[in-house]
Amino acid sequence: MHEIRIAEDLTAIVLEAAEKGNLSKVTRVNVSFGQLIQIVPDIFEFAFRETVRNTIAEDTEVTIEIVPARVKCLNCGSEFRLVEFQFACHKCGSTDLQIINGKELFVKSIEGE
Amino acid sequence: MEIKIMKNILDRNQNMADEIRDILTGKNVIMVNIISSPGAGKTTLLERTCERLVNKYRLGVIEGDVTTDRDAQRLKKYNIPIVVINTEGGCHLDSHSISKVLHLFDLENLDMLFVENVGNLICPTQFDLGETFKLAVVSTTEGDDKPAKYPMLFREARAVLLNKTDLLPYTNFNIENFRSDLNILNATIPLFEVSCTRGDGLEVWFRWISEQIRNN
Repeated sequence: MHEIRIAEDLTAIVLEAAEKGNLSKVTRVNVSFGQLIQIVPDIFEFAFRETVRNTIAEDTEVTIEIVPARVKCLNCGSEFRLVEFQFACHKCGSTDLQIINGKELFVKSIEGE
Repeated sequence: MEIKIMKNILDRNQNMADEIRDILTGKNVIMVNIISSPGAGKTTLLERTCERLVNKYRLGVIEGDVTTDRDAQRLKKYNIPIVVINTEGGCHLDSHSISKVLHLFDLENLDMLFVENVGNLICPTQFDLGETFKLAVVSTTEGDDKPAKYPMLFREARAVLLNKTDLLPYTNFNIENFRSDLNILNATIPLFEVSCTRGDGLEVWFRWISEQIRNN
């Protein structure tokens, strides 16, 4: 259900950027979500549709890029893609890992006219 | 025309959480964000913890609840500062709701502030409240697959408390599976296996939480 709150905050950012950029209509919103953040894209899109209703972004398309999870081993320095939440280094077995990708919740850009 | 933004969607929440963290660090207050499903035993854990530590340390509680102040009523008898936040349907607390009530506490005279988040394993994990650390609470009646199903909470928490161990004989909870799933996610995380109603295992928990205060 946190998709609703995220959609609300995204709408605020989109409308502010559109106003600054003198857009009269937003046609596309490009967002990037990390694989680890547990957002259901369908619920998010549904919520976003509700929050942009009666605004200049009402008819916008949303493009969601899912960023795969990557971690860095703080013991040996190797980086690898995280598979099935196995938090152990592929090379040295250390569990001291830092998540470098996968927690993104970014709005990259908007398009409009 | 394309306008580049490159901004964290939850920037507003994050900025406020950072502010709260600075304030609490400045006042030497530890904030514990307690996250669990509904009914895992967050309030009972707080009752036991207050009962045991209220004479040693200065404790406070923020009770996040969808509606009612029933949890807060249960903690009234310990004479500690308690503030209720009703989210009116909202599935999580956020940093702005914490910021609105933080001034109600005398932070100079507080060692630890517990935040009982709304019962939910997904949404609260996403919203930084400015806490010092998250505590994940699970209970044996929920099933042993919680770490596998909700990995981010168990990855981000500083400790896990498994409650209702007294009910183990009546459930199909496999404690070995639970431990090994947790180990895959977070090999070094402390796990407290307790029964808040019967008291089993709580001494180890009290010792650990006291250490967090003493080492602050």
